[in-house]
Amino acid sequence: MLRDLLSDLLYRLRALVRRSAVERELDDELRFHIERQTAQNIAAGMPPADARTAALRTFGGVERRKEEIREARGVSLIEHFVQDLTYALRGLRAKPGFTFAVVLTLGLGVGANAAMFSVVDRLLFRPPPKLRDPALTHRVYYGSTYRGKESLSNAVAYARYADLIRWTSSFTRFAQSGTGDLAIGNGADASEMPVGDVSASFFAFFDAPAMIGRYFTSAEDSTPSGAPVVVLSHAFWQTQFGGRADALGSTLRIGSLVYTIIGVAPAGFVGLSPNRPPVAYIPISSFIGGQNLIWVRAGDTWWGTYNSFRSSTFAQRKPGVTVETANADLSSAMVRSYQAELAANPSAAALALVKPHGIVASVLAERGPNQSNNSKVAIWVSGVALIVLLIACANVANLLLARALSRRREIAVRLALGVSRRRLLSQLITESVLLAALGGVAGLVIAQAGGALLRAAFLPKSIAAGVASDPRTLTFAAAAALAAGLLAGVAPAFQLRAIDLTSDLRAGARDGRSHRSPLRRALQITQGVLSVLLLVGAGLFVRSLGNVRAVRLGYDVDPVLVLDLNMRGVALDRAHKVQLRERLLAAAKTLPEVENASRQIAMPFLSTVWTLLYVPGIDSVQKLGQFNFNEVSPEYFATLGTRIVRGRGINSGDQKGAPRAMVVSASMARRLWPSSDAIGQCVKVGADTLPCTYVVGIAEDIKAQKLDGDPGYNYYLPIAQSDPDAGGLFIRTRGPAARFADGIRRRLQPQMPGASYLTVTPLDEVIGEQTRTWKLGASMFLTFGLLALLLAAMGLFSVISYNVAQRTRELGVRAALGARTNDLITLVVRQGVELGVIGIAIGAAIALAGGRWIAPLLFNESPRDPAVFGLVALVLLGVTIAASWAPARRAARVDPQVALRAE
Amino acid sequence: MTDTRLDLPQGTLDLLILKALSLEPQHGWAISERIHQISREALDVQQGSLYPSLHRLERRGWIKARWGTSENNRRAKFYELTRRGRDQLATEAVAWQRLTAAIALVLKTT
Repeated sequence: MLRDLLSDLLYRLRALVRRSAVERELDDELRFHIERQTAQNIAAGMPPADARTAALRTFGGVERRKEEIREARGVSLIEHFVQDLTYALRGLRAKPGFTFAVVLTLGLGVGANAAMFSVVDRLLFRPPPKLRDPALTHRVYYGSTYRGKESLSNAVAYARYADLIRWTSSFTRFAQSGTGDLAIGNGADASEMPVGDVSASFFAFFDAPAMIGRYFTSAEDSTPSGAPVVVLSHAFWQTQFGGRADALGSTLRIGSLVYTIIGVAPAGFVGLSPNRPPVAYIPISSFIGGQNLIWVRAGDTWWGTYNSFRSSTFAQRKPGVTVETANADLSSAMVRSYQAELAANPSAAALALVKPHGIVASVLAERGPNQSNNSKVAIWVSGVALIVLLIACANVANLLLARALSRRREIAVRLALGVSRRRLLSQLITESVLLAALGGVAGLVIAQAGGALLRAAFLPKSIAAGVASDPRTLTFAAAAALAAGLLAGVAPAFQLRAIDLTSDLRAGARDGRSHRSPLRRALQITQGVLSVLLLVGAGLFVRSLGNVRAVRLGYDVDPVLVLDLNMRGVALDRAHKVQLRERLLAAAKTLPEVENASRQIAMPFLSTVWTLLYVPGIDSVQKLGQFNFNEVSPEYFATLGTRIVRGRGINSGDQKGAPRAMVVSASMARRLWPSSDAIGQCVKVGADTLPCTYVVGIAEDIKAQKLDGDPGYNYYLPIAQSDPDAGGLFIRTRGPAARFADGIRRRLQPQMPGASYLTVTPLDEVIGEQTRTWKLGASMFLTFGLLALLLAAMGLFSVISYNVAQRTRELGVRAALGARTNDLITLVVRQGVELGVIGIAIGAAIALAGGRWIAPLLFNESPRDPAVFGLVALVLLGVTIAASWAPARRAARVDPQVALRAE
Repeated sequence: MTDTRLDLPQGTLDLLILKALSLEPQHGWAISERIHQISREALDVQQGSLYPSLHRLERRGWIKARWGTSENNRRAKFYELTRRGRDQLATEAVAWQRLTAAIALVLKTT
């Protein structure tokens, strides 16, 4: 079989490579046959003159036979292809401008899509590498209802995880996996890197034996505290240990503990969260067991409490168990688990209210049920990229069509010469595919550059490889380029069918008629429509971003730094913890670039603290909502720029022994004392039996949980009166905080004992995370929208230019009859504007109808914002006129003499 | 052309060519003559139609070609069976005989 193929291939190859030699041989062979037959005929007594004719007749059509023989050799297909390719290449080389325009247009379209695909594929489609059975691996979600609102959480308490293992039967295994930034290394070399704290069962989800050494066992991952062992990622092992095998057995300080290296994961192993791969894996029990846990109540254990939502939980379904069965099994285990929680903590809400249940979902977090807005934006942007590709296709189709029309006569001549339409069609398609291939290559170059930017925007923590080295993205780009090329090639192919031999031959090269091709007009209008859609989207997101930035947060962001303490390996008593923080506060205030500083125990968007409140005259304060508080220094309000609406802020007189004071937010004051003055009211904080804390001032509301909607309720207590031994500092700098962050950290670090260290983060970074969705949406829609506009403008320019060239004679006649320059310009521009206006109208109608789909991603912005629609219409109209202007000028310069003589 | 001549069933020309070449290498014209003679002039093989078959068989590696000198001292292209061509001839000949025997049987018993 193989030998057959080989012989076949060699034969074809020889026939192809040595085509002229093979053809000559064929001629010789057939000539010999005819001669031999002629000789035979003469020998049989025929006159020599008839003998040859008879021989030829017996043979039956030499040329036809030759064609049959070529078919039999099986090379004609390849030959045709090579011919077509040479023809196409020659054609493209002859028109470098046209070729460049098409390749660039396709390149932009394909590049945009390949780059977006590399993002969306990683977010939504590609399972984590080396997974043993992606189809059976799930994220497990705990569903519960709190205050009437249902929520699903992939992070569940360790105790609940243990219950699931105990009380389900549908799963092969469960695992927990968390990722957090931990300081790795000693002293000045220490830097924070993502570390995975995982259960020992985690590694069994993968078909990836340790590269060297081993993974940890369940004996090493046991409560109350596991063994201090660590498995390194391949990349970390390479960079930090130079890939040396003797790394095994050496130690590494991670967080507050020193771990022994027992193994290295193979290259490409990134765990179950491929978009944020850890550099090392430690047992979950060593990690949590080695911490001072503030969230575990007295008398409880970290593995026994249900009061935590810590680690993502995964399960592998048994083969043959359906998802429905697995969900039912999981739900009944969740109910049992909640009953166990109730037994341990009788004050928890009733089973009937909480309605615990469980579901298994995709192993990819972004597949839902808790899809992030960023990933929704990514999907929208992919749609946008697709539209850009469609515009590019329409554009290329238009260019090809213009070319086909100007080649009408050439094609008619070739048809008349007997070239089959099928052959012409295959030439056209070859040309399209060749252009697509070139466009695909250009697209990859563009995607390689643009993809890095996109992945940095959507997958900031990923270490994903580039576009060009990723087979999935390459395949996608090739498919997209080919589809685009064929799509664009269809239009000229249709045109080919319409060619009428007689009229086109008679018309001659300098055709006086104008071909007002309805197909080209439709394509142009489509481009306009699509551009409108993208620009409206861009406008809506830009406005949303503006609205987000305009939101009054109730505090300043730009000049504020957040200082955090990491007490790695240092155990201080309470008094020393307080002293350390006071020392840091004092030291910070002496720095020249620091305007003000305050202690704090809660940070907007990062942490919230609340406790029970009792107010005389109110039955249950808890029922009115959640009241968050912060414990702060007197300089707090000046540091953050939060305004005091009435009364006073915290001041230096609010010391231990003085009357307890509190400042409440305006919303809290209204909520608790709707009909009376809040100032002077008594609130008991923490317990009913404690003395009164008096409201001394009302501060403006702050947004600390979410940017839109209700600000929630907040109050502030003097830190001197509550004296917490936790928390960090807010620091207000003179000018934008970001550039002072590192300098301030360096100068305060000497205050820190032992291996403990400080982190200093601009508040802007913390808040920036909240506005990322709109920033992403605005920048992506704007980029792609402008790209689309550029392509549409190019398309319009080419259509109008072509029409002007076609109408040279008509315009010349008009000029000869006395039309002025302005008349001619108006004539041409009006044509472009007509197309533009139709496109704008249809596009606006679609955008109005489809607006509600994008509304959930906007911020305080109507998807029908007339300002956006108006501006888009104006921009598009402007671009239309600009694109028509140059060809119109050319039309106006037509010399009637030349135009008419050209006939 | 008389009524006693038969048109070739589809695909049998290859078999005839292989058979004609089984004795010694031949050039195209001689092959057509040979088929004509052996079949006692009953089979009508149009000379031209021989060549596409020859080239197809060569592509399959059942026959190979080389240039030599013909009986009338001219340069001619000679075809000869390869080992695989010989195997193929044996296989096809048996298959053909079984087929014709079966058809004959059916026709006889009716």
